[in-house]
Amino acid sequence: MFKKKLTLKILLFLAATDILETLTQLCFKKSVFSAIGLDSPGLAGLGAVLKTAFSSPLLWCGFAAVAVTFIIWSTVLSKIDLSVAVPVASFSYILVPLASIIFLREKISILRWAGICFIIAGVIFVSLSSRERVKTE
Amino acid sequence: MKPAVFLILPLIMLSSACDTINQLFLKSAINSLHTSLSANIWQVLKFVLRLLKYPRVWFGFIFSLVSLCLWLYVLSQADLNLAFSLDSMHYIFIALSSKAFLREKVGIKRVSGTILIIIGITLVSLS
Repeated sequence: MFKKKLTLKILLFLAATDILETLTQLCFKKSVFSAIGLDSPGLAGLGAVLKTAFSSPLLWCGFAAVAVTFIIWSTVLSKIDLSVAVPVASFSYILVPLASIIFLREKISILRWAGICFIIAGVIFVSLSSRERVKTE
Repeated sequence: MKPAVFLILPLIMLSSACDTINQLFLKSAINSLHTSLSANIWQVLKFVLRLLKYPRVWFGFIFSLVSLCLWLYVLSQADLNLAFSLDSMHYIFIALSSKAFLREKVGIKRVSGTILIIIGITLVSLS
């Protein structure tokens, strides 16, 4: 069987998927910016929003990022448990607010920063649990 | 104008559930390949190609696409930060389903770590 331990290399790979995911989200959000004007909260607005979004080149950049993310993500999943990979990938919660400040000029409060600290602590716990598992096996 | 959370929440939950199904399909396909990968890029590409031969991976893609469409709609209606915050229930889905379907050992440390992450994300969504 293969190793299940969360190594530094895997963490770096996860960081790479996070950065790509952040890029993807930014592309998607920017591509739907033009669709916000439609502003009809019901399901009827869904088709119109999607039509506007799919005609934007940014959305297709997002899709390219998704393809690369898939390759890296499946490589990572071949090394570690799903219940480790997904929580650790929550590092994007730190990257996305930072990107939101810089590119979308959204504001981040102190409470939000506290939440980010909790997330970091949680990620540390989860990665420790993957190490513990190797020891017991 | 921002729509109420009660409208966005079910959509995000559905999107999360679809993504969880996609992850489960992908992980189970990867598990059945039993490969240990090295850093060789060709080996990685070969591995991905072998992976794409599994029908369940494509099933997963369909769920992923549904998830994406819902997610795009949510993004057009809500703040990126708020949407991401509410997406935290994803972790509950993942933890429960990997224990149930993939037989991963979800111990105290992993559960508490996941809970810490959820608390963090809830804090983020409160602000």
